[in-house]
Amino acid sequence: MIVIGAGLVGSAAAWHCARAGASVLIAEAGHPNIGASGQNAGSLHFQIERRFLENGERLAEEAARITAISRIAIADWAGLETALGEDLHVRRDGGLMVAETAAEVALLERKVAREQAAGLGTRLLDGDEARRIAPYLAEGIAAAGFLADEGHADPRAVTPAFVRAAERAGATLRTETEAVAIARQGGGFAVTLRHTGREETIRAARLLIAAGAWSPQVAMLANLHLPLFPVALTMNATERVAPLLPHLVQHVGRRLSMKQTHAGNILIGGGWPSRLRRGTGGAFDPALRPEPIETSRTENLRAAAATVPAVADMNLLRSWTGVTAITADQLPLVGEVPRMPGLFVAAGGSAFTLGPTFARLVARQMLEQDRAEADEALAMLSPARFEHLNGFMG
Amino acid sequence: MADFDLIVVGGGPAGMAAARRVREKGLSVAVIDEQQRPGGQILRQPPAVFRVAGWLAERSYRPVKAELAAFEATQGIAWLGGRSAIGAAREGDGFVVHAAGPGDLLRVAGRRLLIAAGCYDLPVPLPGWTLPGVMSAGGVQAFLKSQQIVPGDRFVLAGTHPLMLIVAAQIIAAGGEVAVVAFDQPRSRFLPIIARRWTSALRHVGTFAAAAGALRLLRRRGVPVRFGLPLRSAHGVASVEEARFDGATVACDRIALCYGFVSQSDLPRMLGAGVAWAGPAGGWRTLHDDWMATDAEGLWIAGETSGVAGAAVALEEGRLAALGILRAAGRIDDAEGAAAPIRRRLAGLRGFTELLAAVGDPTEALARPNPPETIVCRCEDVTQGAIAAALADQHAPNAIKLATRCGMGLCQGRSCEATLLRQIARASGEPEGARGGFTARFPIRPARIGDLIESGTVAIEATNSSVHAD
Repeated sequence: MIVIGAGLVGSAAAWHCARAGASVLIAEAGHPNIGASGQNAGSLHFQIERRFLENGERLAEEAARITAISRIAIADWAGLETALGEDLHVRRDGGLMVAETAAEVALLERKVAREQAAGLGTRLLDGDEARRIAPYLAEGIAAAGFLADEGHADPRAVTPAFVRAAERAGATLRTETEAVAIARQGGGFAVTLRHTGREETIRAARLLIAAGAWSPQVAMLANLHLPLFPVALTMNATERVAPLLPHLVQHVGRRLSMKQTHAGNILIGGGWPSRLRRGTGGAFDPALRPEPIETSRTENLRAAAATVPAVADMNLLRSWTGVTAITADQLPLVGEVPRMPGLFVAAGGSAFTLGPTFARLVARQMLEQDRAEADEALAMLSPARFEHLNGFMG
Repeated sequence: MADFDLIVVGGGPAGMAAARRVREKGLSVAVIDEQQRPGGQILRQPPAVFRVAGWLAERSYRPVKAELAAFEATQGIAWLGGRSAIGAAREGDGFVVHAAGPGDLLRVAGRRLLIAAGCYDLPVPLPGWTLPGVMSAGGVQAFLKSQQIVPGDRFVLAGTHPLMLIVAAQIIAAGGEVAVVAFDQPRSRFLPIIARRWTSALRHVGTFAAAAGALRLLRRRGVPVRFGLPLRSAHGVASVEEARFDGATVACDRIALCYGFVSQSDLPRMLGAGVAWAGPAGGWRTLHDDWMATDAEGLWIAGETSGVAGAAVALEEGRLAALGILRAAGRIDDAEGAAAPIRRRLAGLRGFTELLAAVGDPTEALARPNPPETIVCRCEDVTQGAIAAALADQHAPNAIKLATRCGMGLCQGRSCEATLLRQIARASGEPEGARGGFTARFPIRPARIGDLIESGTVAIEATNSSVHAD
């Protein structure tokens, strides 16, 4: 098996495949964890995301279905540090999604009802109840959805731990190694890899594209469309401060996520854009460092200070930008491409929180182990829903 | 919002020289500087309420003091002192610079931007270098010049840079005690270098006289000046108590390290200007054309930003940048004619800069191995050993930063980047800086979040004496 991309999903899938006895090669164009896997802010969020709620009821209803995978992910994260034998700074002291206005409270109530119906343990708290759990919250917070399973982990630690585990299980990692050609050969694939100018073609029965925002470019090598679009986000970190914020804090009406890292920095994000840069061909190039957008930074910080007032007196240490990818319907893309049996993909967002689960399930599909169960769990994320795009491809 | 014709970051020799000349031709100019008063690190002007007799009376300070007097006499420059330029970005057809003060943050907008942000002491890790009491020579000098304070009782000066002699003499003159001035390099290094470049040396007799004068004062006071005596480590419980050399231990309560200087480069890198690694001390020097313009449209540089070369070069580069900016703005007829004597003087100074760099070359000192537990990144307490472990997998600076936290702390990597890049070069066999450095991120100095949310703008009618924020 060849896995393209040594981010969280790729290295975790390689680990699962290698420990099941497959011979696995991970080809990484740069170095492990340098993309979104290491640049994201490490939220473990299982409540329905705000981005699904701001685009109408139909999308919200679909998003409620993803809670089935969230429930699996909650269980996966619970055992991960033991399974990998490493401290990933996983902290699950609960997460609050807060509301300020009457309209936000109404939205939150509908969201919590949906989650409860889907079997998530979210509780609706009024403002005072929320402040009893989280005394750092502003007086203006009128309600909060609280889910005890939420929290955060250290993106700096998780992917390297998966890489080490994969290598211990026998997988081979090749860094600075770019896939430059993918050909179908027999029932499998011949993948040409380039490292320091030298090319080598390697055969594999199964191929997994887990290259984040670069996945469409890799799929092009196999003459396939992957409907993934790069997005550039803004994140902020405060200086290290004394323990204040044990929870993950999100906002149902504003773009905001906050948590305090193991080291003490408070990370502030929530989906504020930065500006993607275009490459020589005119298309967005995820390899170019996105440009910060000042209003994104300022409004993100404003939302943070309105929710947790103590933040206003902290120093901003660093703002940074990172590139991830989303699909046309905002749901991740995980599974086998029907047009090309043996070629799998796992990309398209939410892949820190859900990444270990995507990797475990797609590995089962690749290994043909309990495949029916994995197929069912991943059904709504399957590339099959975009198969019409590949009707004239392959 | 007001748009200045020119924003200058840095009110040292280069920034003052450029701002004054651009202002004199009728352009609106704002100058942002971290010190309250103009003059830069070289002068470190004391607060206005201090009365200091014979302030920096030595001959070598005269040209910069003359520029300071002319700058302070120029009407209509918006002086934004006591503020850090924490970020710069393109806005409209110009730039916006974020200037953080003690209680607020201003957005300063302008058509053109000149960065003359100076340099800082090269941090040199060795065992004990993060102990309280171990300082940079520049830090000691800042106390002496701006606060008229001797920041300690008994000093050891150690390093490779001849500035040590001047700082030691200043400590003595201000009433402090110097236990030893320890040059890392052997005395035999000096003469051949000076002999090779004797024409440059002759032209800068004044500087040599200052060093010789300092040496005489140290001799008279019985301060040993030793050569070929590398500092190995600093020791103490709560703060430094002794400096250890090969075969010698010297009791002290302060150690001032002086191995050279590194250009401030965050802002040009943030704006995407081309830079090159500046060996042997390290850091990034920003590349420029014959008018001090960078390859980023509208961005000029001057002084140590173009490579560490001292105040005389900075003054000339500031003058040249002013001509370049006036030329681009169509405010000067014969820029070439005005630039010719400046370029001649710069060419004359180059030889001396090279001589000083050769005399103070820290290469050997920096190559000397330290134990793995030596701290490299003092903000995040990352050791050389931890970096060595990460280097087994990868050599890209940003990847090492992510893996180890080296460079993630309060200083944004200023104090560890050069050390890390040297260690990467040793591990990879590639030249220093071959894989670039840390990404320059906003803010380059930590800034209060409440100030960032409620930033103000600065009015164009602001003058030397007062700045009105709205």
